Amino acid sequence: MSDKHTVTVTVTVNGQVYTGDCEPRMTLADFLRHECGLTGTHLGCEHGVCGACTVLLDDVAARSCLTFAVQADGARITTVEGLAEGEQLNTLQKSFQEHHGLQCGFCTSGMLMCATELLRENPNPTETEVREGISGVLCRCTGYDSIVKSVMAAAGDQRDAVSEAGSAR
Amino acid sequence: MTTTAEPQETKYTGKSQQRIEDPRLLTGHGTYIDDITVPRMIEGAVLRSPVAHARITRIDVSKAAELPGVFAVITGNDLVEFAGEQPVIWSVIPEQRIARAHALATDTVRWVGQGVAAVAAVDRYVAEDALELIEVDYEPLPVVADLEQALAPDAPKLYEDWPDNISGSMTFPAGDADAAFAEADVVVGASFRHHAGYGCSIETRGCIANWDVFAGKLDMWLGTQAPNLARDLLAQVLSLPVDKIRVRTPDLGGGFGLKFDFYPDEIIAAILSRRTKRPVKLLEDRQESFVSSSRARDMRHDFEMALRSDGTIIGLRGTAYAVLGGALGTVGSGPPWASVLACMGPYKIPNQELTLKAVMTNRSPYGSYRGWGMPKANIVHERLIEFAARKLGMSRIDLRRMNFPTPEEFPYFSGAAFTYDSGRYADCLDLATSAVNERGWNVRQREGREAGRSIGIGYGFHTEVGAFGPSRVLNMVGLDHSGFDEVRIRMDSTGKVTVLSGQSAMGQGTHTTYAQLAADGLGVPIEDVTIVTGDTESCPYTGYGTGGSRAATLGGAAIVNASGRLKSKILRIGAELLEANPDDLEISDGRVSVRGAADASVSTADIGYSAYRMLNGRLPESETPTLEEIDVFDPANMTTSYGCTALLVEVDRQTGAVTLLDCLQAHDAGVIINPLLADGQLAGGLAQAFGGGLFEEFVYDEDGQINTASFMDYLLPSATDIPPFHFYHQETPAPHIPGGMKGLGEAGTIAGVSVVASAIDDALSDLGVAVTEFPMTPPRLLELIRAAQSAGVTA
Repeated sequence: MSDKHTVTVTVTVNGQVYTGDCEPRMTLADFLRHECGLTGTHLGCEHGVCGACTVLLDDVAARSCLTFAVQADGARITTVEGLAEGEQLNTLQKSFQEHHGLQCGFCTSGMLMCATELLRENPNPTETEVREGISGVLCRCTGYDSIVKSVMAAAGDQRDAVSEAGSAR
Repeated sequence: MTTTAEPQETKYTGKSQQRIEDPRLLTGHGTYIDDITVPRMIEGAVLRSPVAHARITRIDVSKAAELPGVFAVITGNDLVEFAGEQPVIWSVIPEQRIARAHALATDTVRWVGQGVAAVAAVDRYVAEDALELIEVDYEPLPVVADLEQALAPDAPKLYEDWPDNISGSMTFPAGDADAAFAEADVVVGASFRHHAGYGCSIETRGCIANWDVFAGKLDMWLGTQAPNLARDLLAQVLSLPVDKIRVRTPDLGGGFGLKFDFYPDEIIAAILSRRTKRPVKLLEDRQESFVSSSRARDMRHDFEMALRSDGTIIGLRGTAYAVLGGALGTVGSGPPWASVLACMGPYKIPNQELTLKAVMTNRSPYGSYRGWGMPKANIVHERLIEFAARKLGMSRIDLRRMNFPTPEEFPYFSGAAFTYDSGRYADCLDLATSAVNERGWNVRQREGREAGRSIGIGYGFHTEVGAFGPSRVLNMVGLDHSGFDEVRIRMDSTGKVTVLSGQSAMGQGTHTTYAQLAADGLGVPIEDVTIVTGDTESCPYTGYGTGGSRAATLGGAAIVNASGRLKSKILRIGAELLEANPDDLEISDGRVSVRGAADASVSTADIGYSAYRMLNGRLPESETPTLEEIDVFDPANMTTSYGCTALLVEVDRQTGAVTLLDCLQAHDAGVIINPLLADGQLAGGLAQAFGGGLFEEFVYDEDGQINTASFMDYLLPSATDIPPFHFYHQETPAPHIPGGMKGLGEAGTIAGVSVVASAIDDALSDLGVAVTEFPMTPPRLLELIRAAQSAGVTA
């Protein structure tokens, strides 16, 4: 083990800077989970299909199981642990609770990160757009309908919040 | 019949209460098995057989053992020093040959993926490096790759001392099937094939074993739906006393029956831990899961139904073939057996002859998957009744309705095993058909057809056996385990409530529904209730585990019973404090008061203080200190919930692709604790069934090699494949379950496969296509369409 080649990786995750030494073959998912202690990012297949490990890498949704930690050196990453606002769930998280958009919670991290990107790019999605937008994350519990409702309702709540903020100005 | 003690208040029960589990899970604060690290922990990996049938002639682990970072390498011969064969808890067929195997193969491998050796190393990366350094020589043996090969007269045998590959066979008779078929006006029959698939929780299986011989204890974290069963089986296989074993379950990333079964990995991890004197984490990766988690569904049913010309069903007979693997799994032939016992479904069929043949093949062991045989039972009765309707020229709705037992005929004995407790089947059928009308599906179909589109409406009626089950009955039919559930409910010194249960939470919202029942049962706010599950050292024993739609029915009934008794004690203490008669008191929102005089009241905190700390002058002399009740609930019968599912599809005749447009289900599971969660269970189950009906399949080649060991090839449905869902409930309470719940965890998986076929047939009704094989993939459907088209041309 002593002759193992390691590299130093520095990433900013949810605003916190982490530096760690790892083998070049270590995935970003394992770096987040083991080096940063952020176990909210889950691994369901480790071959880039299930989407449970989705994180935002410089604001773009990425499969952390197919990304090496070294590739993320210097990047700004958002994981599921970075979504809540202080001690309150954010709008999307609240909507998932309200519409039963999760059961076991395992794919949920990936769903939330994927939906976060979707709503940022398209604040007013149709149901079809939501289904397409989340189709890269596999859920085995819900049958998706409640997730679609959660994302649609969160989009509505976000629009309401924006228009309220606008009228208060 | 058990006395029914309904909760007196239903502030929570029956309401769409948001889940108490969610904030943790939504913020990444869940703790799944791979999130747990215990001090000094190392990690394991298993070397699995690359061939389906072979004799192991040599294993050399020396290079692997020398790799830096490796702590131990074990083979089957090392394992048998400490471990017996893997357990089989269901022996449903009398005099069945039970093929058992050790957790690692000792001399012969009988399926691709069977464990051959295992490594413990500093981390998983190094452990997998070490696997590549293990040398194994295999002497190939003839492979029995599928059912037909296994049954062939000259088939190679999996077990040389057996006469053939048949593990066992049995027949359930009722009435006189031969006479019924002889006098029938119409007989319809088919060979139905459901290919192999699996539960496929998005979180794979895993455990952390810490076998400390100096402490004399085996401490295990295990992603299981059945911690008490796992502890008993660890004890059995490792010859340890149960009290020296602790099994804890973390959050489960889905279970679906797959995590009910007891796997070789648990034993391998334990042995690796003993060898290394370190805790060992052993996780299955996704690729492994296709050969190391329970294979399911894999069966053929050759069945026929006899009817009179007026539509009355008079007979059902046939043979079901279970495609077992190279050894029996935990539940043996249990699910195939259930598929036979349930294959008359909701229909009155006086004459039956139902045969099960359990057949060994060189495939991975057969095991549990949500629905447990019943999805295939549903295929038999729902497909045959539609074929009969076609042949008789009758409405498929009317034919179903006329063969249901009427509400007055319950409890209704179905002929083979189950007695259905209660039901209003025709009402449920009407609820579904009127919903189809309301949603405009008939119009959509007509307009679509006019535009040249192949739109179909499918129907399926299902029954689901829940509250599984009366312990002595389960024992009599071959289960080496029980079916009761035990709950412990406690109010503490501050008046807050803790419920301890042996059930497992795997995403179905058990903690929320239990909190709803306990809060209503005791008259306290739901925020005051904490549910504890997942630790054999502190939680009660449950028979079986969490499966068979047991959690709401049996655990729920036990909570209703226990909280009723605890409430009486709370009121007796309240009476002492208020100087009143207990009969005049009520409890609501955590306050005990004299009925009609709310100003005279005490809080549950006052009650708790009196029962635990300041007894003098506050706790009646006749009462023992503390506030705690235990209830053990063993049901007098199982429950039978039921439903009618309708599905709107479009078929592309050029490609054979099926698009699911909309889905609804009318359902009766007795009393619904939480409609929001109930709908979630129904929808999730239906989505799984649509996967099995259209996409998911373990494909094997002639060497028994699996060709679908990744999500690139084993196709789970995604959000664009699954339609919206609409649910309609009616409530016919289970008369023998306190609380009246019937359970619904498996409804969707049971109902959802046959309804796909019904809808495809309807979309292609002009061609006369009859779907009998699952999954009905585009190539298969295209073949049916072309065959029908050329038959039409020929005719």
